[in-house]
Amino acid sequence: MSSGRRSRQASSSSRINDDQITELISKLRQSIPEIRQNRRSNTVSASKVLQETCNYIRNLNKEADDLSDRLSQLLETIDPNSPQAAVIRSLINE
Amino acid sequence: MHMQPTSSMKEEFLQKWQMGLQIYRPLIDNTSVSERRKAIKLSADVAMASLRRGTTCWSRALIQKTATEDNFLVRQMLSGIKAETLINKKLPKVMCHRKIVRRSKKILRRRKSRSAIEEVAAKARKLVKKKTQGLRNVVPGGEFMSNDVLLIQETLDYIVSLQTQVNVMRSIVDAAEAGSERTAYYLGKLKFAIEDG
Repeated sequence: MSSGRRSRQASSSSRINDDQITELISKLRQSIPEIRQNRRSNTVSASKVLQETCNYIRNLNKEADDLSDRLSQLLETIDPNSPQAAVIRSLINE
Repeated sequence: MHMQPTSSMKEEFLQKWQMGLQIYRPLIDNTSVSERRKAIKLSADVAMASLRRGTTCWSRALIQKTATEDNFLVRQMLSGIKAETLINKKLPKVMCHRKIVRRSKKILRRRKSRSAIEEVAAKARKLVKKKTQGLRNVVPGGEFMSNDVLLIQETLDYIVSLQTQVNVMRSIVDAAEAGSERTAYYLGKLKFAIEDG
């Protein structure tokens, strides 16, 4: 493969990628609640969308950790005869 | 029109998570809170990742990562889905091809000086590049996704999966924590949340 051909291929594929990336970033816009709910979501820049995406993912992971925490505490303190225990039993035993 | 967790995803996640918790059942009664918490979180992660049946990079990476923390659990939870291959499969090592990057940088430098507009565009691209790098740090297996298009596709799928996980876990914990008079309310809400899609 000549170097000329390779550089032409690199630039044409990067044009295709730019379009794909623009489209994917607009999908991200719709996935992040903070941005989606903003009336003027289309004016949010690509880099802001990416930044908010990182933050959103971190928050989701943190929430999952927190929920695991709460559930494990519940298992510790729960009164076996309470309705709460029934919920957890059904979760664990079904 | 955005992607969001479907009722079948939530249903499947709950079933798989339940299975994981059942595997831990003997331990749950006899261990510390922190070990319990780890068991709950790991089961939730494997349940979430297994929804994708090995078809996405992030889910394979998450399964491998969880397997290093609890190999037994992962094997048990994935026994129907070729656990061995998922745990041992090498993730694609598609690192940046330095030669191509160096060559295209050389070509760019040879071009005539750019206009102000081109400068702004170049700065914007650089900023986007920096932010996509940030994504690689939060998406499992991100370090193997040198292709930005792949990275963002994986991110979109990962987000929907995380939303499913959090959605279901939140419903369960709310139901379990509610005072007795509200437990029925939350249970109803959980059922509705899963069927509602």
